[in-house]
Amino acid sequence: MSNPHSPAARRAALRQIPEEDPEFQIAPMIDILLVLLVFFMSISSTEVLQTNDHVSLPVAKDAKEKDKKGDAAKGQKIINVLWDPLRNGGAIDMDERTYGLPSDLIPELSRALTVSPNARILVRADKQVRYEYMKQLLKAIGQAGGSNLTFSVVDKEKPK
Amino acid sequence: MGFQIAPMVDVVFVLLLFFMASAGSQITERELSINLPAGKSSGGGAITTPIIIEISPDGTVSMNSTVYGLPANKNLVELKEWLRTTLGDYGGEDPVIIRPSPDTLQERIIDVLNACAAGKVKNLTFS
Repeated sequence: MSNPHSPAARRAALRQIPEEDPEFQIAPMIDILLVLLVFFMSISSTEVLQTNDHVSLPVAKDAKEKDKKGDAAKGQKIINVLWDPLRNGGAIDMDERTYGLPSDLIPELSRALTVSPNARILVRADKQVRYEYMKQLLKAIGQAGGSNLTFSVVDKEKPK
Repeated sequence: MGFQIAPMVDVVFVLLLFFMASAGSQITERELSINLPAGKSSGGGAITTPIIIEISPDGTVSMNSTVYGLPANKNLVELKEWLRTTLGDYGGEDPVIIRPSPDTLQERIIDVLNACAAGKVKNLTFS
């Protein structure tokens, strides 16, 4: 019988029981995969990438549902129009670039409209934007050759 | 330890309930389309009378000097009704021209556009 106080016996007592091979857990993996799937589905559409969150859209209850399946959404250009009350002036955000004057949009817009002439132009204008500025924008879109114009609205007021 | 189906169904039901409950308060984006005159050729058809809707800077909507909506009136029910009956009688081909003043807010223009959409206006332009 060995001495329980011998160094070998003390080492043996400290040594941990060897673990079993880790088992592959399927449930947490499905969990994580679903979260990843939802995340990528929600950010991947080009529309999400082109919209500006700072625009507070006007409310219109009789507007149509968005046509996501049809040709309308193909090759569409999204123009975000922001209004700065301090400066009393507007700014335009298109394809992650900011333009001060609506007429600055014409070269970029006409290039896009030469590629796809019937492309829809979606204007996401803030509710505070003055018509003076919108008029210049509509004129610029017309000069660039755009005719299919759509205004973005929301179906109900954002809760405060 | 095997795959436990009961807690998974439990969690999935909770998730389902959560998404169903939050879907009601979801704000969805909708759209109002118009055609700019640049892309349209005017065929010399029947003579039409344009209906001109004016919007003052404070948001008063008027047509032929008659006020159809005060600034507080967001739904513009009278305007919708008038457009629906008038355009219904004449086939809806008469062009509607929206003439806002330079300081009119986009919000009010969208209210009028919304009324035009509800009144089944087919031919719409901005002056």
